[in-house]
Amino acid sequence: MVYQPPVGARDLFPLDVAQKRWIEERLQRVFHGWGYHRIITSTLERLDTLMAGGAVEQSTVIQVHDLEGVGLRPELTASIARAAVTRMAGVNPPQRLYYNANVFRRGDRGIQNHQQEFYQAGVELLGSGGVSADAETLLVLSDCLKSLQLDSCYLVLGDAGLTRSLLSPFPEPLRTQIREAIATLDRITLETLPMASSLRDRALLLMDLRGQPADVLQRVSSLDLDPEQRAIVSNLKALIELLEGSGAATPALILDLSLVQVFDYYTGIVFEVVSATNLGKFVLGQGGRYDQLLSLYHPQGEVCPGIGFVLNIEDLHQVLLPTGKLPLQTAVSDRLVVPTEAQAYAAAFAHAQVLRESGDRLRVEVALQEQSAAAIRDYARQRRIAQIVWVNPSGETQSESLE
Amino acid sequence: MITVALPKGGLLNDSIRLLKSIGLDFSAFLDDSNRQLEIWDATHTAKALLVRNYDVPVYVEYGQAQLGIVGYDILREKQPKVAHLVDLQFGQCRMSVAVKASSPYRSSIDLPPHCRVASKFVNCANEHFNGLDLPVEIVPLYGSVELGPITGMSEAIVDLVASGRTLKDNNLIEIDRLFETTARLIAHPLSYRLNLDGLQERIEQIRTAVVPVA
Repeated sequence: MVYQPPVGARDLFPLDVAQKRWIEERLQRVFHGWGYHRIITSTLERLDTLMAGGAVEQSTVIQVHDLEGVGLRPELTASIARAAVTRMAGVNPPQRLYYNANVFRRGDRGIQNHQQEFYQAGVELLGSGGVSADAETLLVLSDCLKSLQLDSCYLVLGDAGLTRSLLSPFPEPLRTQIREAIATLDRITLETLPMASSLRDRALLLMDLRGQPADVLQRVSSLDLDPEQRAIVSNLKALIELLEGSGAATPALILDLSLVQVFDYYTGIVFEVVSATNLGKFVLGQGGRYDQLLSLYHPQGEVCPGIGFVLNIEDLHQVLLPTGKLPLQTAVSDRLVVPTEAQAYAAAFAHAQVLRESGDRLRVEVALQEQSAAAIRDYARQRRIAQIVWVNPSGETQSESLE
Repeated sequence: MITVALPKGGLLNDSIRLLKSIGLDFSAFLDDSNRQLEIWDATHTAKALLVRNYDVPVYVEYGQAQLGIVGYDILREKQPKVAHLVDLQFGQCRMSVAVKASSPYRSSIDLPPHCRVASKFVNCANEHFNGLDLPVEIVPLYGSVELGPITGMSEAIVDLVASGRTLKDNNLIEIDRLFETTARLIAHPLSYRLNLDGLQERIEQIRTAVVPVA
């Protein structure tokens, strides 16, 4: 019998963990630097909590068979929204929260051995609406990319509220079909759906409202906008000016008003951060503003704005690995403490502990097998341990540096 | 640099002619002695991959090719996450249900419940019969689907029909049409959004070069 991990699961060995931690520690430093606090929610979540926002499909949730209506979380925003409104009421806004956790998603469309467990790190900024909160979120994201030394990234920015509003002249059920076609970039459907030519022109224009921000804003402004839409456009303009004026290193910005999902809970800006190198293009993370989501979890339905983003650790890892920035080896022990004979183990363990507590944060390992001095030296060289400390039964030590 | 995935088989000639009309020459793929699966155009601005038609959307979905040319039948069957950009108008045929000419069936709903239907297009066939609320057993085949009814393995087939000649030569008749299909220009969604290397310009050139069929 060969015991294998479940389909879609993977084990992380020490080097994998070292590389993952390299990424996570940098992100965490950025989150702390911006005043965010870590929240840990349960891996198990009720399906009704997960699906309340309308963006999570039940078919993607791995359910727990022993517990009725409970599944493994496929993302963190629902859990944090639930926890924040019900348990952190009375905390002065804004709440700045971050997470670093595993999520589970059922592999889709018959891809064999599709990964089912993923790691994500992200932030949720709750209780703060407006351009400044949008800007902070995008600046934290930019700071994350900078801390990972990720160049050649693009930020594709849209506005779910504006796009939804621009779709309002289309009657239902046409509107839903058009929204889906725009979300999936299906121009042929837009060209063939039955509708008046003026509506078709508008639909085709919406699908390609994308490019340099100034250019796109100008094209949108040329549409016949109502006051609410004009306000959103001017907010977008203000946001882009704020980002540019902040002097921060932000990724190249592409304004893309076709960036919508078929189902989502976003109400304001939405964005994806994309890495484009000669190895290919990957979405590293995404996020957006969800000003209606929290009210769904609030007992009295109180409205509270929120915005957040998530970075996918596996995707970051995949993009960072070829750059040579990730550690290629696990941490090396600083000392190898070797008892000179079997009776010297007590003294060896005692000396090793003295070294560990010396304040230099040394990594000290004790040789566990009686071996010849030559074999010990071979072992130390192989493990790249620079110093061997020989300890005799009376606790006398002799250090030997290896070249 | 732009990479285009091109389908082997019936759509290749027209695909290469279309790309040649916008200045990308991959006609080396048409040379019988050619064994290369990846070739550059003469100006070195674009590359083409020669893949099975079923694999075109795979290369495009994963982004190894930014553009691809593939029949709508395959897009409908596989539902890949790719941008559907231009109906290229060539490669016209239809997805149809066919049965033995000597059988009593003259429409899909005449078929007996729980009968067998052979097809390369399992999902299209399922979708059709589910829509009719007619339970059937779909038998997946990879070629010569016509043999299903001939040998008696299945009552019907769901397959692409162009001229209808193959059906006729095998004493089968078409009893229902599921949908019409033509070749489509598809794109990797992320590449389409980022629009690097003049991708949008190439797409517009292709759109203009397509001759609409009246």
